[in-house]
Amino acid sequence: MGESPDFISDLPQSIIENILTRLSIRDAIRTSVLSSKWRYKWSTLTDLVFDEKCVSPANDRCVVETSLVRFITGVLLLHQGPIHKFQLSTSFLQCRPDIDQWLLFLSRNGIKELVLELGEGEFRVPSCLFNCLKLTRLELCHCEFDPPQYFKGFSSLKSLNLHQILVGPEVIESLISGCPLLEFLSLSYFDSLVLSISAPNLMYLYLDGEFKDIFLENTPKLVAISVSMYMHEDVTDFEQSSDYNLVKFLGGVPLLEKLVGYIYFTKYLSIGDDPGRLPITYIHLKTIELYQVSFEDANEILVLLRLVTHSPNLKELKVSASPIQLFPLEEEGFDLFERDYFDYKLPSLETVKITDVSGIRNELEFIRFLLGTSPVLETVIVSSSLIDKEAKMDMVIELLRYPRVSPRAQFLFLQD
Amino acid sequence: MSEGDLAVMKPETMKSYIWLQTADGSIQQVEQEVAMFCPMICQEVIQKGVGSSKNHAISLPQRVNPAMFSLILDYCRFHQLPGRSNKERKTYDERFIRMDTKRLCELTSAADSLQLKPLVDLTSCALARIIEGKTPEEIREIFHLPDDLTEEEKLEPLKNTMDDPRIRLLNRLYAKKRKELKERERLKNVEVEEHVDERSVDDLLSFINGRDPKVVKMSKGKKKKKKKKDQKIVSSNDKESRDLHSKQQCVEETGSSMREVPNLPSAEDDISTPKAGSEDEDIDDEIDPAMRELLDREVEDFAQRLNSNWVRSLGQERRPVHFSINGNGTTRRHTGMVSIWLHLYKRFLDIL
Repeated sequence: MGESPDFISDLPQSIIENILTRLSIRDAIRTSVLSSKWRYKWSTLTDLVFDEKCVSPANDRCVVETSLVRFITGVLLLHQGPIHKFQLSTSFLQCRPDIDQWLLFLSRNGIKELVLELGEGEFRVPSCLFNCLKLTRLELCHCEFDPPQYFKGFSSLKSLNLHQILVGPEVIESLISGCPLLEFLSLSYFDSLVLSISAPNLMYLYLDGEFKDIFLENTPKLVAISVSMYMHEDVTDFEQSSDYNLVKFLGGVPLLEKLVGYIYFTKYLSIGDDPGRLPITYIHLKTIELYQVSFEDANEILVLLRLVTHSPNLKELKVSASPIQLFPLEEEGFDLFERDYFDYKLPSLETVKITDVSGIRNELEFIRFLLGTSPVLETVIVSSSLIDKEAKMDMVIELLRYPRVSPRAQFLFLQD
Repeated sequence: MSEGDLAVMKPETMKSYIWLQTADGSIQQVEQEVAMFCPMICQEVIQKGVGSSKNHAISLPQRVNPAMFSLILDYCRFHQLPGRSNKERKTYDERFIRMDTKRLCELTSAADSLQLKPLVDLTSCALARIIEGKTPEEIREIFHLPDDLTEEEKLEPLKNTMDDPRIRLLNRLYAKKRKELKERERLKNVEVEEHVDERSVDDLLSFINGRDPKVVKMSKGKKKKKKKKDQKIVSSNDKESRDLHSKQQCVEETGSSMREVPNLPSAEDDISTPKAGSEDEDIDDEIDPAMRELLDREVEDFAQRLNSNWVRSLGQERRPVHFSINGNGTTRRHTGMVSIWLHLYKRFLDIL
């Protein structure tokens, strides 16, 4: 464009950075040998993402480790200006003092997003991290987290993701309370955690691990919840609470739009003294996905029914029956469905998917209930875990028999 | 003209146009909804009220030449229709950016000056894909970049970190540690033999000097008064052995040398002094020549039997003494000392 044939070097720095950000860090730095103008164009990039692909591969693990450390140290030393995002995801680095030094450097350069996904090895997060008060996003994996006494929390933190972190439970609670702007919280791979969550701005909650007890104390803005609750062999821990867990957990989330529960989540919710009615209506709840629901347990079915009937705008329901019988119960003659449940209406339910059906009475009754209360139902997808073709046929015949309130309702039987 | 007025005009079959003037002076009119897709034009219309007539045409920024402008208008014309699906848009975009690199750069520049972010992102993405994975020569050729860096500057830029003397030292220490570890592995296999050898040498020496083995060992602690150099070596060696001892411990525990950076200056000085055995024996003068010959041969054999590195290392500077800190530590050290001593002894004999 004009005299000089070079047509890219004179573009505004914002565009150059836009381009360089889309390259891997290695390619971005290699542009520094292109010409004299390009020498330091990369050095003001604010987002740095590192992994083992930054260095040439080698058979010897130590070689990769050393060259990766050298690379990152080199980049940080040559970098100019603030660094807003630093991501390190590699299993090659586990526990090295170099990481401490990098974090110290970052803490002095206005770091806002920090992602550290290291290999297994109990890397202890240095105290300089707790001085990074501009942090808006923190993601730690395979670390040891031990804040000093003076640490009150990250006042700007919006997203927190802790995976397999060695930390005391009271630390997590105080950390969550100390981050008033927290919107996204993910805790995974923890053992026997007892947690009370107080986060006034929290919108997305993701839990995965062995939790003994969770109390959503103050989370009025929650929009989406996903819980995978594993259980210890020691079941009695679960039975101790006298409060109804369903209310304790889902009693204070009026804005909920999506609820997903895996493994023993429904079982967990069903524990406690049942007060009879649910105090809350989930006006915004559109999707419920509860997996591994034990249809032989009346309490669990009650939880399911309660949630479904208290969500007038529910559009999609996905349920999977539990093949694992940890608590073998005799199949009670269930008159639950004969109660006034059929007076309920599910005015918005359009899609239902039920998997791992083994054909027991309660499962079929539940489907009958759905068919009889959903005027706009369109699709019912059923997949069965039965192997015996006869039994499968019987089940299908039974299901097709049930009266349907919605004229458009269709069954879809999936083969495994 | 306010936005409200413009909106009122729309229902008519007559479309409303906006007048725009490109950098070369030519003026053209563009359909309103198409032009307003560009935030910069939108701003001009709303805030300054220009563009409604030929006389009050909006002048576009310098970077927007007519060819680029027509491309941008095509883009806007397609995307401003709300009814298009995401797939349609994506397909259009992929075909749209198929042009030579020079025009792509011009387009990026023009889109940026019109603040049309989606197009800037699209073109930047395309340019990134062009740069990705190519060698510097290829990139220079594509973009017509001048090759104006010196050869040194062209070396992988991260080598600049080598200018830091501490980092250079770190790398050398890394290399040394690695070699040491390998040596130690190798030596562990040789140790058993050496143990046997030592005894024979001790006996030999005691025989030569007419002393019993016990005294020999004790006297090894005495310093040689003759050679001042030896004394200096002795003291520095002790200190250095301690330093290196602790340093090695450090290294083995933490696997890093970063913490040793403050220690390095002192360690460097220690390393620079040539190493030698700390123990020197008072050498007797009365040795008959036959015995001396035998001794010479024994010394040679022995020196060769031990790892010859020891002998070689005396000629080099800046090599740490090999101390192992495992259970065999004392034995190893002892052996090393003896060989160094033997070498000196031999040299001394030559002088006689």
